[in-house]
Amino acid sequence: MISYGSYLLISAFLFVIGLIIMMARKNIVAILLGIEFILNSAALSFVTYSKFITKNLDGHIFALFIIVIAAAEAAVGLAIIIRFFQIKETIHIDEATELRN
Amino acid sequence: MILNLFSNLSFYIPEVLVIITMCSLLFIESSYGPAEKERKLVFIAATIGLVLAFVSLMFNLGEESKLIFANAVVIDKFSTLLKMIMVLGTLGVVYLSKSSLDIYRGLKSEFLIMVMGVLVGGMLLASANNLLTVYLGIETLSILSYVLTSFKRHEATSTEAGIKYALYGGISAGVMLFGMSHIYGLLGTIQFAEMLPAFAKVQEAGQQWLMMASFIMFFVGIGYKIACVPFHMWSPDVYQGSPIPVTTFFSIVPKMAGIAVLVRVSLLFFGESQSAVEIGWFGLIQIIAALTMSVGNISAIGQDSMKRLLAYSSIGHVGMMLLGVLTLNTVGPKIIVFYGINYLFMTLVAFYITSAVSDKFGSDSQASFKGLVTKNPFMAILMSISLFSLAGLPPFSGFIAKFNMLAAVVDAKYYGLAFVAAVNSVISLYYYVKVVKVMIFSKAEMEGPIDTFRFSNQALIALCTLPVIILGLFWDKLMLLSEGAKIFIQQ
Repeated sequence: MISYGSYLLISAFLFVIGLIIMMARKNIVAILLGIEFILNSAALSFVTYSKFITKNLDGHIFALFIIVIAAAEAAVGLAIIIRFFQIKETIHIDEATELRN
Repeated sequence: MILNLFSNLSFYIPEVLVIITMCSLLFIESSYGPAEKERKLVFIAATIGLVLAFVSLMFNLGEESKLIFANAVVIDKFSTLLKMIMVLGTLGVVYLSKSSLDIYRGLKSEFLIMVMGVLVGGMLLASANNLLTVYLGIETLSILSYVLTSFKRHEATSTEAGIKYALYGGISAGVMLFGMSHIYGLLGTIQFAEMLPAFAKVQEAGQQWLMMASFIMFFVGIGYKIACVPFHMWSPDVYQGSPIPVTTFFSIVPKMAGIAVLVRVSLLFFGESQSAVEIGWFGLIQIIAALTMSVGNISAIGQDSMKRLLAYSSIGHVGMMLLGVLTLNTVGPKIIVFYGINYLFMTLVAFYITSAVSDKFGSDSQASFKGLVTKNPFMAILMSISLFSLAGLPPFSGFIAKFNMLAAVVDAKYYGLAFVAAVNSVISLYYYVKVVKVMIFSKAEMEGPIDTFRFSNQALIALCTLPVIILGLFWDKLMLLSEGAKIFIQQ
């Protein structure tokens, strides 16, 4: 049986990948993907803790909520990105420079 | 069990009323044809719903504190008072959106529906009693806020603000969740009440550093919602890019909700033993409060856009409110509620006048305010009162609020923080007075009277200014009300 350490390692790995994508990529859709990585890493570690350590259902329920809300967030995010694309004709984050100090 | 949950609904009437209002607004809106732009009934229904919610909150104020929905939600006086502030703020925003030109006419009813949704999220957050409700509240608040931000969909600024908000929001929610998952793993529960006993076990196992890291990650999510430094970067951009009613809304409702949840989480740490986690958490809040005040006020100095200036000033005010979190075991809840009520009225007046001026001249830069005193002396005076009150000058309510905060902090022997707060008050006075100077001493560049100040608008602005003056002189009654802001902790 796979130990819970490996699950947590994968979860941490996904989290770091998500953060790196957020910082390194300039494409707004790719940044949105990075956010999904982070959310899924959290869901994975919730389920892991629930199954191996705390032995109650809280973590499973939490993971379900994360999945649903992540979908809602992605939908709204994509809608705004489409608007941005229609106005600017690009989805490069460096083009978002209208608002500055 | 199910019957039990239903009987709990009787303590949840305010939220239920807001949700019913939201749904009925949807129906009313769809009953209008596309040609009818003037949808009066929607505004009337929204106002009635909010007033009813406010009244039922007032009834809740008299009840005992209670845990409902399997301990997921707590109804206590503190949360009820903060909810009342939020509902009042929303009521003000609903009125503002009716006359504002910043929101497209065809989208006004949609705006109201979204605002109700955000309000439900804020109310849920204010009485959240476990990690799941905190997460649900924050996301209900955030996801609808992204939509509200990009409401001027034909303008690049608004859409850009929406994108920035959504991306920052997404990452901070993700980091918060990751922190929550480890809190759950270490403590074995998502209920706040059951966490307190579990702390000692973590301490024994020597895992307090992991615990600390998880709680800092958790703080990222809350800190982003109340826009404290270093998670404030989105705030000025979003405030400037959104329509003014949305900006007004953001500076009241999400902040109050965020402060409420921060207070509830911080209360977990007031145990008997000085654990490493407790010292770390309150050390973090001290540093963040000092930074938030300083960065907010110093950045506000050079701003030309009035919305941006008010955004930075609201960051400064959040820093002040964070001081109250440090004194939670004594007077903290009381002075936070008191500060919130005062902040509500000052902010509403400032934004109402900014909205009318920017609707007339199409820009919210300080140049539009030049010579306001010759065009509309009454409004110029009220704006000056609200700005002086925001700065914390004596005869007005902002002074009392700030004074109470400072007194509490000095009482708790945080002398350094009190000094920082006092210096920041002086800095904030500088940029507020600059606006007053522009209004009174500069010659008007743009001609024509400001006809967006209609009689009803002026009456409402005057009505909102009244508390600013009255509470500055007779504040003991309100203090008595805030005194009841007891936070319920399950033993």
